[in-house]
Amino acid sequence: MSIRLEHISLDYQDGGIVRHAIRDVSLEIEDNTFVGLIGHTGSGKSSLIQHMNGLIRPTAGKVFYNGEDIYQEGYSLRQLRNKVGLVFQYPEHQLFEESVFKDVCYGPKNQGLTDQECQERAREALRLVGFPEEAYKKSPFELSGGQKRRAAIAGVLAMNPEVLILDEPTAGLDPMGRDEILDQLKKLKEQRNITIILVSHSMEDMALYAERLIVMDHGRIAYDGTPKEIFSHYQELEKIGLAAPQVTYLMHALKEKGFDVSTDIMTVAQAKAEILRVFGKEPSDQSASDQYAQACKDSASGTGKQNMPDRKCVSEDSGEGSLC
Amino acid sequence: MLKKITLGQYYTANSPIHRLDPRVKLFVTVFYVVSLFLADSWQGYLLGFLFLFFYVAASTVPIKYIMRGLKPVIFLLFFSVMFNLFLAKDGTVLIHFWIIRVTTEGVKTAFFMGIRLVMLIIGSSIMTYTTTPNQLTDALEKSLGFLNRIHLPIHELAMMMSIALRFIPILVEETDKIMKAQLARGANFEEGNILQRAKAMVPILVPLFISAFRRASDLAMAMEARCYHGGDGRTKMKPLRYERRDFIMYLIFALYFAGMIILRIMF
Repeated sequence: MSIRLEHISLDYQDGGIVRHAIRDVSLEIEDNTFVGLIGHTGSGKSSLIQHMNGLIRPTAGKVFYNGEDIYQEGYSLRQLRNKVGLVFQYPEHQLFEESVFKDVCYGPKNQGLTDQECQERAREALRLVGFPEEAYKKSPFELSGGQKRRAAIAGVLAMNPEVLILDEPTAGLDPMGRDEILDQLKKLKEQRNITIILVSHSMEDMALYAERLIVMDHGRIAYDGTPKEIFSHYQELEKIGLAAPQVTYLMHALKEKGFDVSTDIMTVAQAKAEILRVFGKEPSDQSASDQYAQACKDSASGTGKQNMPDRKCVSEDSGEGSLC
Repeated sequence: MLKKITLGQYYTANSPIHRLDPRVKLFVTVFYVVSLFLADSWQGYLLGFLFLFFYVAASTVPIKYIMRGLKPVIFLLFFSVMFNLFLAKDGTVLIHFWIIRVTTEGVKTAFFMGIRLVMLIIGSSIMTYTTTPNQLTDALEKSLGFLNRIHLPIHELAMMMSIALRFIPILVEETDKIMKAQLARGANFEEGNILQRAKAMVPILVPLFISAFRRASDLAMAMEARCYHGGDGRTKMKPLRYERRDFIMYLIFALYFAGMIILRIMF
């Protein structure tokens, strides 16, 4: 039970010039994993995920789902799309029904379920994404951006897919909404044993949620491994327009200043534990904490990413606010 | 899926035709269409074809690209050829079966009609292949400027046209995206009778209209924010100015047009 891509290439015409969106990508995604897919704009992420449910046919190469070639004679792409759900970027642009509830029912209805089953599915999906029940009968066009997004994600969830692919589901949402949706996805993965493939630009999100991270660059797979392995290459990541999470930079800066901290730290919670461990030995040393504050400043200005504050510091550890 | 529509899109290149003043291309296009209706003998069509051949060759737009642009109008072509084939009454009867009557004259007009339409479409599409919407608007505005005197809002009309042209690829892309999103939700556009198929279009059309309105309102807002207030007192960063090559093209076209008139009188 897996998605397997074998030597996928995708070319397209652009004003008479042939361009390569994907170049010879081979990939296997095992069941029940949370896979993160990152890459800068135009690196081929969105094209790649559309190969997984047969929306884009590769110029060369083969796509297998559960060991079956999806382009073999008699294979039903509609059946495949029932199993591999895809939530596009800005999915709220696909809403069309007169009420949210009806819109979420659209997918299950296409699967040929009875009205009763459709409604059950829709209700469950809307509950999963945290959509308020009193707004079920509202027109999708009078909702706020975040609610529209939830309704649209529920529209795909209601189809009960075995694999759920999401293309930047949190783009343009507020930090609260982001965390809620991602937490729901993680829970979903654990409860229903489904595979989740998440396309995102946020290294922090990837560090928190992904078990496996695939980095794309110019239509190729640049790195493939656990987030920990990949973020240890943070200098190479910068070369292809990406970066490691902010705290990883902080830990490297601390290490440079002579503190004995581990550098393969990816989340603020881990960093807090690690720093407390090191500082636990010298809690009252004033000069040490001055030096420490300086290191923080260096790491922030050195990487030029002050405009991407780590939202975790505010929501989790208000006591550590000075950290960022 | 829909990306293959090439009719009316700009083709990036730096050919002699691309460099021509857009007013020249506009003039050539309009009068080329007129000249095709002047032709009534095979000599006339041949001359029309020769001109088109060199015009297309000079534009460096690949033939394959142009042919792909013809696809959407094949239906229309087919119907006009069929009508001419079956409805002509003159000439000797070739086939007479029930109410179907094909005459020599019918075959002749149908054949020429088909050729004329294809040349007409190719001739006018070369203009959009080699001229950006902005250039085209400038040309239209300048060429039709005299209509301002009778209070026709030429600038506004030209602006509307250029926006419409500019939005074709955007809306095509948008349709493609929405189609894919609904396909991912199990939509079925390929099966069922006409009614079911029409119904299957609703999930595409509703989001498409909404997005078109949203884009239009965003664009209007952005234009207003940059103090757009119509054509009065507006100056151009790159005013149109004729160069030598433009006069040469006018001359070539005048010769061609004269040739068409002579052929019309002679044959």
